[in-house]
Amino acid sequence: MMTRAAALPARKIARRDTGKLPWLDPMVTPSLGVLAIVVGYPIVYTLVLSVQDYNLLSAEQARFVGAGNYGRLLSDPIFWKALGNTAIYTFGSVAVSALLGLALALLTENLGGRRGRLTRALLLTPWAVPFVVVAFLFRYMYLQNGGAINALLLGAGVVSAPVSWLNVSTLAMPAVMVTNIWAMTPFFVLVLSAALAGIPNEVIESARVDRARTLSMIFHIKLPFLRNALLISSLLMIIGNFNDFAKIWAMTQGGPGYSTTTLVIYVYRQAFENFAFGYASAIGVVWLLLLLAFAIAYLRALRMD
Amino acid sequence: MLSSARCPCILFAAAILWSMSFAGDAVAADKVVITFANWAAAEATTKPAIDQVIAEFEKTHPDIQIKSEAISFSEIARQLALRVKSGNPPDVAQLAGNDTFVVAATGKLEPLGPYLSADFKSQLKPDAISGLQYQDKLIALPWTLAPAGFWYNKAVMAKAGLDPEKPPKTIEQLTAAMAAIRKSQPDVIPLAIDTTNRPFALQSNWPWMATFGATPLAGSKGRADSPEMKRYLTWMRDLAKNGYIDPGRKIGEFRPLAAQDKVAFIWDQVLLQGVIQSVNKMPDADFYRHWGVTVEPTGPSGKSYSFEGGHQLVMFADSAQKKAAWTFIQYLAASPEAIKTYTLGPGSSLPPLNAAPNPELAAKLATPIYKSFTATIIPTLTTPPFGPAFATGSSAIMAGVQQAVTGSEPIDQIASSIQQQLDRQ
Repeated sequence: MMTRAAALPARKIARRDTGKLPWLDPMVTPSLGVLAIVVGYPIVYTLVLSVQDYNLLSAEQARFVGAGNYGRLLSDPIFWKALGNTAIYTFGSVAVSALLGLALALLTENLGGRRGRLTRALLLTPWAVPFVVVAFLFRYMYLQNGGAINALLLGAGVVSAPVSWLNVSTLAMPAVMVTNIWAMTPFFVLVLSAALAGIPNEVIESARVDRARTLSMIFHIKLPFLRNALLISSLLMIIGNFNDFAKIWAMTQGGPGYSTTTLVIYVYRQAFENFAFGYASAIGVVWLLLLLAFAIAYLRALRMD
Repeated sequence: MLSSARCPCILFAAAILWSMSFAGDAVAADKVVITFANWAAAEATTKPAIDQVIAEFEKTHPDIQIKSEAISFSEIARQLALRVKSGNPPDVAQLAGNDTFVVAATGKLEPLGPYLSADFKSQLKPDAISGLQYQDKLIALPWTLAPAGFWYNKAVMAKAGLDPEKPPKTIEQLTAAMAAIRKSQPDVIPLAIDTTNRPFALQSNWPWMATFGATPLAGSKGRADSPEMKRYLTWMRDLAKNGYIDPGRKIGEFRPLAAQDKVAFIWDQVLLQGVIQSVNKMPDADFYRHWGVTVEPTGPSGKSYSFEGGHQLVMFADSAQKKAAWTFIQYLAASPEAIKTYTLGPGSSLPPLNAAPNPELAAKLATPIYKSFTATIIPTLTTPPFGPAFATGSSAIMAGVQQAVTGSEPIDQIASSIQQQLDRQ
């Protein structure tokens, strides 16, 4: 086994040698070729389309409009509404899920034996349910007439009349977010439970010897250890939620009005209902740039880890 | 590595497969192959019927082979538009509503006028083909007719103290009837109407807008911020505020509720009878005692309107087998076998013909529901300004309808916001 002392000079040698390495290893060219086709080509083609007036139904050829589609974006109130909705949906869902996941991971940390396994299995169940199924399940639970949630609230006397959860502009987004949070929390439970298990016993024991209280233990010992896991899982989920189409489409199709229209829903409507591929591509480029920023943040976080 | 014993076996099998592929080509070479893109084969309820119709067609037309391509209803227009663009459209396709005109906008649909003989044209209902013109050319043949009617549940009306044989004739009468129903049966949805954000919902709401005199889309003449449109939006808001409608549901989601007497009035197509009976197993005679269908109650315009939700058949201009494709289209729309097996079967709709082609089908079409649709509802058909602008505009208009129904923004503001979006498009 290589000792730490022995490993250091080896790493130095490796770093010194990188200068002599060819800039492109022939062994990676097949992978690069595949990536160029499946990732590079669609991106380049989207960029090309984004500067054209291109409608799939039009018999005319696509027309170069320069930054015309981007200019239209700036004055399109639905685009800005969709961007705002995307931010609320993404960051709101991730923040609440992360907090819930953290709380549940801490609560179940010391549960052992059969009871612990059963609790963890139950907590992870929502993660195993396909997102479209989750969306339809909640859609029917939210129904004004015959929905389980209204039946429960009416039975408990919390509300006097059924609430139209998905059909009131102010309630639709929170209702969709609750569904998303329900589906996403198990992911955080899983990641954070694993990270909690990875905290060295010596650290915990020494804190106990110092008579650290529960809250102090959580805030000063455990949370610093969980920081990277939280950051990476949150960034992953932000990227995932930014692209979330299935849940919103199955539950509200972006309505009522535009109250749950996110960027992905707006792009879909522009491209596949209005067939305005040029304008949809311009929105897609903006969306791609935003995702790229999150991806860079994620890669940096990974490097920090 | 292959063993020497296995090698000849593999070569032998390959030779057999190779010779079989030639045999297959020989069979196919004798026949004209027509590709038929449709959603009838994609849905469990209609697949057996369409398969049977195709098998019967192939039996009576041994020189034509039909290659059915199942594509879901919600995907077919998109897929056909993409296939047209990439140069491989099918020969024939099933389409409906705005999708027919969206695909026609590609300029790749074969005009069917020249194929329509005077004799065959005289067999078709004039209302059925008048709405299928695009740039003054007939671009589709009606396969099934499925206009929307105002269905009324006689049992629910009677319970509310209303005369079950006198459905509301005006918007005022409808409002009064809904109030009585809401009061007597709070668990019943007084009016089932589709308020989702999709082109079909605009098509479904178009007759309601029309009866208020509103035409939010019609080239330069249409205005979404007209006083008529505002009156329609105000009416929709009142319906929601009073709990007379259940917003956000697709029309299909109301049908099982209608079967359980949880819906009093429903704005739906002829297929509703089949759905209700498949859910509650009600015999025909009981159904006619329980449900009736009539024309839409009239609004300020004083006129009733309806929309045609049936299916059409189109032929693509790139088809190399146009004669065979037309033979197939005609067979689907007008042959007694296709009408019996598909149109009146799981399709639960009306044939596009003036008269039933034989006494057996005439007897099948002599029900009170079919008679109401044929005699009173079909003459009220109105065709919205279908086309790409309708698809684009439907999103803005239905989002506005949803805002009116579910929000508290002033109606004036909503109407002008819809118009601004339409202007931008």
